[in-house]
Amino acid sequence: MNFLPSLHLSTRSRKLTGRFAIVALVLAVCLPGMVLATVDDALSFAYEAALPYYKQGFSIRKDAWGGDLGVREKKAVSSQLFKGNNYWFLMATDVKGATLSVHIYDDSGNLVDAESWQKGRFAGARVSPKATGTFFAIVQILKSPEDRTPWALVYGYK
Amino acid sequence: MLHSEPPLGEGNLSRFPMNLLICINTVVASLFLIASPVMRADTPPKKISLSDFPAAAVEEVVVPVPSEIFAVLDKLGNPNWKGQLREGKVRTPEDRARTALLLGNVIAEGFVAVEAEDAERVKELGRQVLTLAEAINVRKSVIARSKSITDKADQRDWRGVRAEFDGALQDVRGAMQELNDQDLSQLVSLGGWLRGTEVLTSIVDGGFSKDGIELLHQPELVNYFDRCIGSMGSRLRKNPLVANIRDVLRKIGPIVSEGGDKITPEQVKSIHELTHGVNQQIIEGNAGN
Repeated sequence: MNFLPSLHLSTRSRKLTGRFAIVALVLAVCLPGMVLATVDDALSFAYEAALPYYKQGFSIRKDAWGGDLGVREKKAVSSQLFKGNNYWFLMATDVKGATLSVHIYDDSGNLVDAESWQKGRFAGARVSPKATGTFFAIVQILKSPEDRTPWALVYGYK
Repeated sequence: MLHSEPPLGEGNLSRFPMNLLICINTVVASLFLIASPVMRADTPPKKISLSDFPAAAVEEVVVPVPSEIFAVLDKLGNPNWKGQLREGKVRTPEDRARTALLLGNVIAEGFVAVEAEDAERVKELGRQVLTLAEAINVRKSVIARSKSITDKADQRDWRGVRAEFDGALQDVRGAMQELNDQDLSQLVSLGGWLRGTEVLTSIVDGGFSKDGIELLHQPELVNYFDRCIGSMGSRLRKNPLVANIRDVLRKIGPIVSEGGDKITPEQVKSIHELTHGVNQQIIEGNAGN
């Protein structure tokens, strides 16, 4: 996966692995049974969901969005998109058993997905803007065993 | 960079043993995706009311990387990119705000040099990126990029050079955020946007393509930059150059809020003059500071 090393993940992760281990240990002791589900893990899955599109020539942005949501809770993510480009938005969570969705709307609230898919903890939507402007990716957790489900969204363009 | 509450940077990823995580996730994701070739879409509403999303439920816009715009320009034709190239070598300012703006400006210039397929200029700009990055303590983040820019320019691998300039922009911003220089990080993006917009309007004004005008329809982005400056510390906000740029953004905002097909040639010219003016100030440092 060529684009991941360009994120400079591995270098910094080596530096900070010790800190992570301490944090993980503290959490494991203090919060037994807690799933160490984080937005960072979700982001890692989102990049994995983006891999097939990277192979198709999409440039995957290093910038990403993320957070946590309750079941059925939605969030709008605004983005400046350009007519002439194709975009894939890929969303993921690391929570097993969760399902989620992402769909793209224009600034008038019209659904503009050219196609979309949803499979468990992964979801994707493609848009080919008919006009340049602001668009909104509406992300939602459809089902989850957790009260709050970490999610992450990345996008690619070509 | 992960845009979220709380704000998360790329560095957040690095709290994890990433190589292991990537390996595990690759296997899991591949199995998951391959095992079920039929992926069902849920049924989203055809229309939603965006007013159902209060500000707290809306994530901020992410500034497009220059490649996103140049990818469109590639498809629109072949303008005279050499004519857009700025000549000369920039001097490193003492003012950190101006240095950050200039760094963004120089990275954007790199894209123009790539379009012009001017290898020597690309290499020179790659070196300038390194010098400016050093002035704001983020040199380390772009050393490898600078070298790759030179290598790929020698190979005339223009797509590769473009990716390196994109990467340099994001690496610099990431490094600044790690140093808690969020404001300077925004100024790098803003500097890039200002130079990109100056060039874009010049091309559009030169009769390049009506579709090119579409690219100027960026209302939320202009508002976003305005908000960024508004939320900066007072010293930075009152920096004469930054204040001038904010004035320019507020003049450009109403124009680019129009639909792309409603922006007139006169307005394109006006945006060009405004951005050209502040870019000269970024280069020469004559904004009164």
